[in-house]
Amino acid sequence: MKEKFGLHNLPEAPVTLETTLINKTGSWKNIQPVLQESTAPCTAACPAGIEIPLYFDMLIRGRFDEAAKILHESNPFPSITGRVCPHFCEQKCNRGYFDEAIGIRGIERYLGDLYLDKKWSPPDVTRDEKVAVVGSGPAGLSAAHFLRKKGYRVTVFERDQKLGGVLRYGIPDYRLPKDILDREIEALKREGIEFKTGVEVGKDISFEELKNSFDAVFFGTGAPLEREMRIPGEELFIKGVEFLKDVNTGKIKKFSGKVAVVGGGNVAMDVARSLLRLGATPVVLYRRTEKEMPAIREEVERAMEDGIEFKFLTLPVRAEKKNGKIELTNIKMKLGEPDETGRRRPIPIEGSEFTEEYDAVITAIGELADLSIFPEDLLNKKGWLDVDLRTTATKDDRVFAGGDLVLGPATVIEAIALGKRAAINIDRRINGLELKEFRPFEKVVEYKKIVLDYFMEEPRQKQPEVPVEERIRHFDVEEVGDYTPEQVQKEALRCFSCGHCNGCGTCWVFCPDMAIGWENDQPVFIYDYCKGCGICSAECPRDVIQMVQVRTF
Amino acid sequence: MSFWYNQVPMEENFNSGHLACQGCGATIAMRFALKALGTNTVVVIPACCWTIIDGAFPAHAIKVPLFHTAFETAAVVASGIKSGLRIRGKGDVTVMAWAGDGGTFDIGIQALSGAAERNEDIIYVVYDNEAYMNTGIQRSSATPYGAWTTTTPEKHPEDRPKKNIMEILAAHSIPYQATATIAYPEDFIRKFKKARDIRGTRFIHVLSPCPPGWKIPSDVSVKVSRLAVETRVFPLYEIEDYGEKYTINYWPKGLPVKEYLKIQGRFRHLTEDRIEYIQQFVDRQWEKLVLKHKLSHGTLDNIPKNVIYR
Amino acid sequence: MTTAMKKVLTGNNSVSWGVKLSRVQVISAYPITPQTTIVELLSEMVANGELEAEFIKVESEHSAMSAVIGASAAGARAFTATSAQGLALMHEMLHWAAGARLPIVLANVNRAFGPPWSIWTEQTDSLAQRDTGWIQIYVESNQEALDNVILAYKIAEQVNLPVMIVLEAFVLSHTNEPVEIYPQEMVDEFLPPRENPLYVVEPGNNYAVGSLGGPDVYMEWRYKMQKAMERAVDVIKTEGENFGDHFGRKYGLYEGYMLDDADIVLVSAGAFTSTVKYTVKHYRKETGEKVGVLRLRAFRPFPHDALREALCCRKKVAVLDRNISFGHHGIFYSELKSALYRLKDDKRPPMFGYILGLGGRDITPKDIREIIEDVKTREEIEEDIIWKGVKP
Repeated sequence: MKEKFGLHNLPEAPVTLETTLINKTGSWKNIQPVLQESTAPCTAACPAGIEIPLYFDMLIRGRFDEAAKILHESNPFPSITGRVCPHFCEQKCNRGYFDEAIGIRGIERYLGDLYLDKKWSPPDVTRDEKVAVVGSGPAGLSAAHFLRKKGYRVTVFERDQKLGGVLRYGIPDYRLPKDILDREIEALKREGIEFKTGVEVGKDISFEELKNSFDAVFFGTGAPLEREMRIPGEELFIKGVEFLKDVNTGKIKKFSGKVAVVGGGNVAMDVARSLLRLGATPVVLYRRTEKEMPAIREEVERAMEDGIEFKFLTLPVRAEKKNGKIELTNIKMKLGEPDETGRRRPIPIEGSEFTEEYDAVITAIGELADLSIFPEDLLNKKGWLDVDLRTTATKDDRVFAGGDLVLGPATVIEAIALGKRAAINIDRRINGLELKEFRPFEKVVEYKKIVLDYFMEEPRQKQPEVPVEERIRHFDVEEVGDYTPEQVQKEALRCFSCGHCNGCGTCWVFCPDMAIGWENDQPVFIYDYCKGCGICSAECPRDVIQMVQVRTF
Repeated sequence: MSFWYNQVPMEENFNSGHLACQGCGATIAMRFALKALGTNTVVVIPACCWTIIDGAFPAHAIKVPLFHTAFETAAVVASGIKSGLRIRGKGDVTVMAWAGDGGTFDIGIQALSGAAERNEDIIYVVYDNEAYMNTGIQRSSATPYGAWTTTTPEKHPEDRPKKNIMEILAAHSIPYQATATIAYPEDFIRKFKKARDIRGTRFIHVLSPCPPGWKIPSDVSVKVSRLAVETRVFPLYEIEDYGEKYTINYWPKGLPVKEYLKIQGRFRHLTEDRIEYIQQFVDRQWEKLVLKHKLSHGTLDNIPKNVIYR
Repeated sequence: MTTAMKKVLTGNNSVSWGVKLSRVQVISAYPITPQTTIVELLSEMVANGELEAEFIKVESEHSAMSAVIGASAAGARAFTATSAQGLALMHEMLHWAAGARLPIVLANVNRAFGPPWSIWTEQTDSLAQRDTGWIQIYVESNQEALDNVILAYKIAEQVNLPVMIVLEAFVLSHTNEPVEIYPQEMVDEFLPPRENPLYVVEPGNNYAVGSLGGPDVYMEWRYKMQKAMERAVDVIKTEGENFGDHFGRKYGLYEGYMLDDADIVLVSAGAFTSTVKYTVKHYRKETGEKVGVLRLRAFRPFPHDALREALCCRKKVAVLDRNISFGHHGIFYSELKSALYRLKDDKRPPMFGYILGLGGRDITPKDIREIIEDVKTREEIEEDIIWKGVKP
């Protein structure tokens, strides 16, 4: 006791004189809490590392503007990914182990659409350097957007007449309406990005010329070439990507007859489902089983719902033209040992060949990049473009590349991620800084760290869908609808907010020492009084508070 | 949006710097209680941990007047204070007796019974940490079967079930009784607010984890309270209408009691058959409680299966 | 002002009237013979609205004391009454009341402790509470009982210590006497509502009363209690005189009867002093011997100085104890002996301690007369206990 008490200052009766704030009980502790956010599995799973809990937090508070800004920070086209993304985030969502994963994509789409026509202008041109972007697919557009945001003058070169690349020519309308794409591109135009369409690098402008006219060049030219089957009669087949382009440009408005679609990837699904909507009867031939299909699971399911016939463990070996039809000979396969991708290798079963008749055959067994424009010295031994995926840098200091061009057929979000990565590193390269290597997140919140007691089982909100019988009759009617604002709110509230303090106040509520203050919707530890009991850390539903050693013995 | 601070008043009627052990359940309980009751309250505390927690002279932790009294007198001193205030025209003041299990189940039961029988206008809260913790963890009649204490050593642990204090009080026909734990703040605060607005004797039984006494780490106080409820060892319920109407406030998950026992060092020595014995006891008690709810309400459908929080 | 009225009242009901006139606000009690009629009448007074008070009918004396502690801490004027076993059960809380410095008034009707069961009078019960920090005043008559309840609040609320009014079982408690009951206004003038409490447990006063006081502060609070007790000596004296000025009956620390010129002084407390006075009066008349009486009123604080002055230079002092401290002596005897110790040898009278009337055994004029005769035969203190009336 600091003060000396005696007859002169003691009250007549034993009555206290002050509060316990004189006792700095913080000195009792050996450990103390700190607010330490870590990565949510959704963010870690997202190639673009979208900080989902962060923008959900804003959504819950009704701060939509801030939510949208956070989202656009990693993904400039949420209206697009909100429709076509395979949502790796949802696959890893911790809530999925509890009841059902959060409808992250639906919320992304809702928020994207809400801000589709009112995005924020990037800063004025603040840099003298100019950057060229080749290809206006998701990688290119993403790179252009983020470079523009950094103040560079950006020119996008597109060989087609219209912008969007695979977004426009690869993805059918029922998944991604052209209107949405157009509006996303409009927003980019408003940002001041210069677009040059109908200009093909290597033809209208040489690689060298381009490189010399700009301080840096980003290539996002995609994987527009359909892989060949190398079987007799292949010339009779239609290439998947070309078919889709024709459909998407309106060249093909109808298609009839029985059509074999060869392949199990996303292009195969898009082709098959488009065919159905154009009037044909598609049959998907895939050499492995449903389990090994590389297509987005959801697309496979939808194709099956559509009533499309699948023939698994089936591989065409030759084709012949007969009576105006194609006679396709297939062989039955069986699964062997896993290959380098982890999928079980298909092995032909001898003598199992059988023949079928089709009106057409469309192949979609894999897409390839067109590397003919690149000088040899940028290629590696295998003949592929030599790109460091951690930085998107090529062997040429001024050349960067991303998207399907470097990944092979992948997803829009991966392209967007590489576009942003390129923008960051082009900026660093121009500024003479070391490139930033992107690595997977290290501290990811595990499911067991979530204090489940704070959550009740609640079904995931469902986006409205056009009924199957209705959707298969239209090519340009989007089959999935938007969440309502109420659904967004409900769904956002289901989020565990793994590793991100959303200001729930659990720590504050249970602190036995009134040692947690509250500022800006976050806990503030009052170490003078915190005794280090650890309840705040143990009870934090989302693993945001860690106990750290303050004293050792 | 259902963030905590929308259900738990921000009002803080309790200062830091009190002398409770790390993770003390009784401290969180007082914090909630005073949030609910507000400052038009006086508190009476007999000999118990809280004698120390509130602070030694010259300091005082809670932001309302507190009268310390002898071990067995909480209920009656509270009655006297209430009478004194009422005759002085301050009958609106909430008088809360706040006692441990020793001061309630054991030495204070006479005064409590008297006050309850007279239906004194007080809130009597027992923060039940299931032994004489302040004196060094000796058993009380609130110590549960099988528990270790310093007077029921592991070789001969507590061999009698915990006294059913709620039923004892129900037999007194008082207007309001409730159980509460710190793991369910919204339920806790609702009950204290409800109690505040009822006249007559209100009795609230708070299970109050004691890290040193229960041999648990200081950070599991809330968790162990939650498990007490979820395993039905300590169900959340109210008895209203003068001991007549039983209402279960939350339908627990019915986790095995083992989940509750195994995280506490005081039950470490229990063998499987003793755990099974406890399970059966808990099951029987729960079934009786469910019957009483059904008798009171004619249905079990109105028992919430979820507690609302986030 | 309405005039005083006279009523024939028992000692117990006189206490009740004293409580009523003191405008006590909270009463709590538990029945015990011979205290019961005090609280019975009070219950009626409260029930029919004559007394605006709350009556907490508790389940034990321990709770009765606890209840009035609560009430007094909450700022109310509080009263309780008990006897013997009940007082002993209160013991813990007697300490609490005094330590908490609460001006509670308690009427204790002296009764002997069991076993064997006894409901009859004896002073050991109250005297055994000697060290609880309570002021103790012993009364002789029903009027004095009534008056001293009022006086007790006047004293208690000045020194912030509780006061015990002690009256004897049956001899006083159940015996009728004419008692003057003062007009309420007159009492109100003397005893205003409780003023300046040391603290009040009510919202707004955010302090704790009775928190842990370590060795660094505890002793000072006990010192303050002792000082309050010492102040009480003057307060009892002054207020006793004020009472006389106001009501016409004066009370002191003790009462002298034929004391001024007495060579032999008989010292006693309580109602049986009436018998002592009666006997002494007749004895003087018959023998002309200068025998006098000193009736103790205040036992705590023990008025050492006043008693030393009163008994200085007397030839002999006999102390009549209706009580015993086992293993020691009569309690008044030993207390008085220690008070007189500071007198010089030549001024200190020889003292003789008589124990009589335990468990309600009658104390008759014959007994007193025999004691006087016995005292006359004695010169030196040869034994500390002289038993009176023990049957062989």
